[in-house]
Amino acid sequence: MTDEMDGKDLAERVRLIENMMAEGRRRQESWGWTFVLWGVAYYIAFFWSWLGHFAYAWPVTMSAAGVLTGVVFQRRRGGNPATTLGRAIGSIWTSMGLSMFIVLCAMGYSSGASNGHAMIAAFAGMLGLTNAACSMTLRWKAQFLCALLWWVTAVAACYCSDDQLLPIFLVAVFFGQIVFGGAMMFSEYRQRKLQNGVVNA
Amino acid sequence: MIHGKLRLALLSLLSGVDEAEFTWLRSKTGSTDGNLGAQLTRLEEAGYVSVEKKFVMRKPQTLYRMTEAGRAALTEYVAALKQLLGAAVISGQ
Repeated sequence: MTDEMDGKDLAERVRLIENMMAEGRRRQESWGWTFVLWGVAYYIAFFWSWLGHFAYAWPVTMSAAGVLTGVVFQRRRGGNPATTLGRAIGSIWTSMGLSMFIVLCAMGYSSGASNGHAMIAAFAGMLGLTNAACSMTLRWKAQFLCALLWWVTAVAACYCSDDQLLPIFLVAVFFGQIVFGGAMMFSEYRQRKLQNGVVNA
Repeated sequence: MIHGKLRLALLSLLSGVDEAEFTWLRSKTGSTDGNLGAQLTRLEEAGYVSVEKKFVMRKPQTLYRMTEAGRAALTEYVAALKQLLGAAVISGQ
């Protein structure tokens, strides 16, 4: 850098730095699909176990959904760079998934379907925790509503009758995963369109 | 070293992320493979970026990260730019 640089060149370089830093922060990641995928996986596992295959319906479906999430994530990542925030969010969900798998398998195999209230309360409680943690990290109020839904589900599972338990679970999955995930996908689509429109202007 | 516009753009991009792929850097800078590779090599030789090459699902992936030296160099460059800009404003350029 020399003293002969004029004001115009200096300003151009400052603009370049600012633009590149802004470009680096711009993200086109989409996560809504994971909520919808897991919502569908919960429904598949539920109905499969309802057909009498309780012993392996949930472990197999959850494992398959986990593998599918990993594969699709790698393919769709689109070369987006890794960030500390992205790693933090991914860690929260991965830890939740592992905890849920270990705890619910243990509960299921130790006491069978008779522990349904406790299992759904644990399941919903963990989802509430994870959604709340992500919402606070991302400062995203909509996801906190999702967390509230799961916490209400967890409490309801402790007090409801046996007949009410499954409808409560199915409704919570529908709103907490399918509807929330669908809304996220729509929002991400609109954001991508907006960003591409600005880039192409 | 980072006075070159492409090298400056690369360090600015990398300053906001943990790591970035070669393809992402190319799409953000609009540079050709050859030129981008050459500039990244120079930055690596200067110790401003580190490189990791690996395979992900059988596809080769090259990841670049900014080093502490690179961060310090960019900070120093920005500080110098601000100083020069201030002087240019005062002198009426």
